[in-house]
Amino acid sequence: MENFSEVLTLFLSVDNFFAIAVGVLVGVVVGAIPGLTATMAVALALPFTFSMEPVTAILLLVGIYKGGMYGGSITAILIRTPGSPASACTLLDGYPMAQQGKAKKALKTALYSSVVADMISNIALIFFASYLAKIALNFGPPEYFWLICFSLTIIVSVSGSSVVKGLIAAGLGIIVSTIGLDAVYGTQRLTFDNYNLMDRVSFIPLLIGLFAIPEVIEFYTSRVAPHIRTAVSGASLTWQEFKGLLKTIVRGSLIGVIIGAIPGTGATSAAFISYSEAKRTSSRKANFGKGEIEGVAAAESGNNGVAGATLIPLLSLGIPGDVITAIILGAFMIHGLTPGPVLFQENLTLVYALFCGIMVSSFVLVFVGNAAIRYFSLIADIPKTILLPIVLMFCIYGAYAVNNSTFDIGLMLAFGVLGFVFNRTGIAAAPFLIGFILGPMFEDNLRRTMLISKGDLSIFFRGPITWVFVLFTAASLIFAIRRYWVARKEDALG
Amino acid sequence: MMKLMKSRVKTKILCSLAAVSLSLGGLAQADEWPEDNIRLVVPYSAGGTTDLLSRKVADLLQKELTTVVVENRPGAGSTVATGQLARGGRGSDHMLLMASPGHTIGASLYPNLRYDPVADFAFVRNVINIPNVMVVPGDSPYNTVAEFVEAAREQELSFSSPGIGSSVHMSGELFKNLTQTKLVHVPFRGSGEALPALLSGDVDVAFENMPTVYPHIQSGKLKALAVTTPTASEFLPDVPPMQEAGKGYGLETYETSAWFGLIAHKSFPEEGMVKLQAALDKVMAGEDFQKFLPQFGAEAGTVVGDDFRDFVQSELKKWSDVAEKANLKR
Repeated sequence: MENFSEVLTLFLSVDNFFAIAVGVLVGVVVGAIPGLTATMAVALALPFTFSMEPVTAILLLVGIYKGGMYGGSITAILIRTPGSPASACTLLDGYPMAQQGKAKKALKTALYSSVVADMISNIALIFFASYLAKIALNFGPPEYFWLICFSLTIIVSVSGSSVVKGLIAAGLGIIVSTIGLDAVYGTQRLTFDNYNLMDRVSFIPLLIGLFAIPEVIEFYTSRVAPHIRTAVSGASLTWQEFKGLLKTIVRGSLIGVIIGAIPGTGATSAAFISYSEAKRTSSRKANFGKGEIEGVAAAESGNNGVAGATLIPLLSLGIPGDVITAIILGAFMIHGLTPGPVLFQENLTLVYALFCGIMVSSFVLVFVGNAAIRYFSLIADIPKTILLPIVLMFCIYGAYAVNNSTFDIGLMLAFGVLGFVFNRTGIAAAPFLIGFILGPMFEDNLRRTMLISKGDLSIFFRGPITWVFVLFTAASLIFAIRRYWVARKEDALG
Repeated sequence: MMKLMKSRVKTKILCSLAAVSLSLGGLAQADEWPEDNIRLVVPYSAGGTTDLLSRKVADLLQKELTTVVVENRPGAGSTVATGQLARGGRGSDHMLLMASPGHTIGASLYPNLRYDPVADFAFVRNVINIPNVMVVPGDSPYNTVAEFVEAAREQELSFSSPGIGSSVHMSGELFKNLTQTKLVHVPFRGSGEALPALLSGDVDVAFENMPTVYPHIQSGKLKALAVTTPTASEFLPDVPPMQEAGKGYGLETYETSAWFGLIAHKSFPEEGMVKLQAALDKVMAGEDFQKFLPQFGAEAGTVVGDDFRDFVQSELKKWSDVAEKANLKR
C-alpha cells in the first residue's frame, strides 16, 4: 500500500500529464506529415528531456511514439500518403474508403482500433511482461526465419487481383532490398560504387515514392480529373459497426503484441499479418482492397498493438526491439537508469508510475485523435490542384529529411515512377513493400542460422516455436493455394 | 576638374578605409573565433550512442563558447558526413564532427574513399572512451579468456556483433587474429537483435560495448571474461584487462574501445583550435561531464591535438590489417 501511494505521488504531477498530452499531440501531427516519422520526432525530442524528471521524460517520448503510430494513418487515408511505414497497410482500404466519401468513417475506425489495440498492448506490458520476455529470448535466428517465412505468405493476401503480379512485385522488392553492403562479407551488391547506396535503399523515400507520388502523377497525366470525394462530413463510425469490428481489432492487437514483444520484427509486419488474417477469416474477402472497413481496423490494430509491447523487451530485458525503443533506452541511460531486471528490483516505483502514464496516454489519444480528425480533415476540402503540389513539397522534404540527402529525393521520384507503372499495369505496390521489408530479414536469419549451426539443417526444427511457425506457414500456404484455385474456378464458370 | 579631384580623394579615402577595415576584420577574425554558431555534425542517425554523447558535449560546450548546433548526417558508415567535412568550403571554420571507430574502420571497409582519414582533418581532442567487454552467456563453460581461447582453437565457436564494421565486430576479428582461433562472425542488425542471441546461448561470445552488457553482467545472465582496455574498468573492477587475462595467448597487445573525439577540416583556424581545446578541458573537468560519464560506462578521453592524430593513425593501421586478414578490405 505504501508502494502504491509512492507510485501515485511520483505519477500524479502536472508535468507528467502535460508531457503525455504534448507527446501524443506532437506524435499525431508529426506522424501525419509524410516523411516525418515518430522515430525522428522521438530522436529530436530527446535532448529536451535531459533536464526533466525521468518519468516525465520517458512519458513524453512514449507519448510521441504512440501518437505517431496513429498519426501515420491520417494522411494514408486522406491522401494515400502513409505518414509512417506502419500505416502503409492502412491505406490499402482506408484510401478507397475516402474516395467513396467515407473518410470520416475510415479515420474513426483507425482511431478507435488504434486506441483499443494500444490498451490491450499496455495490459500485456503490465501483466505479462516477464512471460512474453521469456518467449522473446527464445527467439533465435531459426525461429525468426520461420516467422518471416510465415509473414511472406501474406503477399498472397495483398496481391490484389493477380497473385502472379503480386509475386512479381514482391520479387522486385526483394531485389531492391539487396542493394548495399552484404551483411556477412561486406561486399557491395548493386551499389554501382555509389556511396548513397552502400547503406541500403532508404525506406522512407521508397515508401513515399511508391504510394504518394503515383497519385500526383496520375492527377496530372489524366485527361479527366478524377472525381474524388474525400469530404469528411460523411457518416461516422456507428456503435454497431464498431461492435462488428471488435473481433478483428482484438485479433490484430494480439498479433501486434506478439510481434512487438519479439525484438526486430516491427509494426509494419504486424499490420500486414493482421490484415492478412482478417482477410482470410472475413465473410467479405472480396471487398478487401476496395474500401473494406475491416481492413482498416485490422491494419491499425496490428500496428498499434506493437506500441506497448515493444516496451516489454526494453523494460524487462534492456533490449530495444526497434529504433524508437533504442532511443528511449538512451533516455533511460541519460537519467542514470538501466532497463532490465535490475530496474524492476531497484526502481519498481518508477516502473509502475510509467505504467500509469502509459495507460493514461491511450485515453489522451482518443481526445487528440478526434481533434486531429477534425482539423486534418480540412485537407480533404482543399482542391486537388492546390493540395497535390503541397503534398509533393512535403514528400520531397520528407525524403530529404531522413538523411539530409538530395540523392534520396531522386530515389523517391524514381520509386514514384515505378509506383505509377505499377498502378497502370495493375500490379499492387503492397507486395513490393513486403518483399523489401521481409527480404533482408529472411536472408539475414537464414545465414545467421547456418553460421550458428555450422551448416547443420536440423536447427530449423529445434523446438516448439519453430514447429508452430512451420505449421502456420504450411497452413497459410495451403489456404492461399486453395483460395486461388477456387477463385479461378469461379472465374472460369463466369 | 575640382570635382574630379574631389571624387578621386573620396575614392582614395574609401579605399583606404576599406583596406583598414578589411585588415581589422582579419584581426577580429583571429581574435574573435567563434564568429558564428558552431555546427557539430554527427555522422550517424539521431538517437544512437554517438548522437547522445554529441548532444551532451554540445550542450556543455555551448556554455563555454557559443551556440552549438547538432546536425545528423548518417550514411555509408560515417563516411558520407566525413567526406563532406573533408571537402571543406564555406562554414568549415565553424564545423566539427564527432568521429568514432567508424572513422578508421570505415576507411578500411568502404572502397574509394575520396578523403584521407588523417591528412584531411585537424584533430581537436578525444572526448570519451567506452570500453568493450568480452562476455559469454551466464551458463557458458568458459570462465577465463585462457579457457575460451583453448576451446576456440579446438572447435569452431561463434561471436555476435551489431553489424559488419562495428567496433564490436572488429574487436572480435582482432581477437581471432591474435589468438589464431576458429571464431565465426554472426552479424546482426543492431545490439537489440544481437544481445538476445548471446543471452540465449545461440552465439558463444561477444565483445560488446560496456553499457549494452553491463546490466546483464550484474544480473548474472552474462559472464565478463575481460575488458578490452589496457587497464581494468572502474565499473567492473574484478574483471581483468584483456592484455593481462590473455597473456601467453597472443593478446599482450590487444586493445580496443569505442572512442569518440572531435575533428575539423584541416584548415580549421589555429585560434579556434586553441579556444576549443581550452573550452573542452574546462567542460571535461566540470562536474556535469564527470557525472554524465558513468551513465554510459564511459571514461574521459585522454589524447589531444597531435597525440589524437597519432592515435587515429595507429587505429587506422590496426583496423586496416584486421580488415585485410578478415577479407573485409575492398
